[in-house]
Amino acid sequence: MKYRFIVDPVLCTGCRTCELACAFSHARNLKQGRSRIYPLTHEKDKYVPVVCLQCDDAACVKSCMFDALRRNEETGAIDLDVARCVKCMACIAACPFGCALVDEVHNEIVKCDLCKGDPACAHFCPSKALRYTKIAVR
Amino acid sequence: MVTITINGKAVQANEGEMLLAAIRRQGIDTPALCHHDAIEPCGSCRLCMVEITKKEWEGWTRSVTSCLYPVEPGLIVSTHTPQLLELRKTILELYLARSSQSEVIQKMAEDYGITHSSFPVIPDGDDCIMCYACTRICEELGCFAISAVDRGHDKKVSGPLRQPPPDCIGCLSCAHICPTGFIKWQDLDSTRTIWERQFELLSCRTCGKRTITRDFAEYLMKKRNLPAAYFELCDDCKRTETAKTMGKIVVAAQEVLK
Repeated sequence: MKYRFIVDPVLCTGCRTCELACAFSHARNLKQGRSRIYPLTHEKDKYVPVVCLQCDDAACVKSCMFDALRRNEETGAIDLDVARCVKCMACIAACPFGCALVDEVHNEIVKCDLCKGDPACAHFCPSKALRYTKIAVR
Repeated sequence: MVTITINGKAVQANEGEMLLAAIRRQGIDTPALCHHDAIEPCGSCRLCMVEITKKEWEGWTRSVTSCLYPVEPGLIVSTHTPQLLELRKTILELYLARSSQSEVIQKMAEDYGITHSSFPVIPDGDDCIMCYACTRICEELGCFAISAVDRGHDKKVSGPLRQPPPDCIGCLSCAHICPTGFIKWQDLDSTRTIWERQFELLSCRTCGKRTITRDFAEYLMKKRNLPAAYFELCDDCKRTETAKTMGKIVVAAQEVLK
């Protein structure tokens, strides 16, 4: 993996621009998609953008019985193959961070796929709390 | 990579894949009811029929189900010849005779210009088209809870001996994959009813939102080695917990850096 998605809660101001960027970049048929990122507040004026961590030993990949969730070696993200998904909700129940979601508008399961290697939220984050940067390969 | 010709256009296809995948990648609309990427193809709905030929076949053609026919080098495929359209229309008329109330089939028939079947309509016909997508997905899961029972006119998909299936885990994969939406289920309070069997739904420890069935969670714990703690909360509460935990980590890290 050459790039890594960095979430820096210290810099997050809770402006929710990432949520808008995500919903609009996943829009289809003139309808917004469900945002894959959630800037949540845990204490007054302190925010954490909760987004898929693309775990190495991911519970969603383990729970998927039809191989719909697979690691994309190019981007490092876990991609959901919508054509293979049967919406059994196993990944939603299994993800310990709650980052697999149901998109009720488009009637499908969604999760962060790092926008195929170019995350929209990182582009729009005004405080640079979300970054997609090159890291040294160890 | 294999080069084949689809409707007069030379295209590249992956080795070992089926014709339907190559055709659909070109954006050509080929109807199919029994096909789903998650299950093995079985070619039961017969709607994805295409005409194939090769140069050395000297004009002879074959009609095959594209979901079951692997790509071969030099294959020449036609998807919308008059004969194929006629064939699809006949099949759709037969489906309309069996499942006259199904919206999916009505819509598909309308696209081919059919409004009523020329075959006698079965008065007590149901929406099940016997494509076995439900039983195939159940096999894929490793549950083998449902299958076709009886023969001929009485044939239907059900649990063994027409009883509620004891091996079912209530995951709803069969209901979601059913092309005509024939398999019905109901979530009432903390019970889910499917295949005339009742399942207990797990509820979130914090907010009480219902998640998946207890049997399904146990199946995932046993077969996929997932800890039971993962299934205690709903996704909304899990995100709140994640925010809290990460907030704590951030505070701790800032203190260390001071």
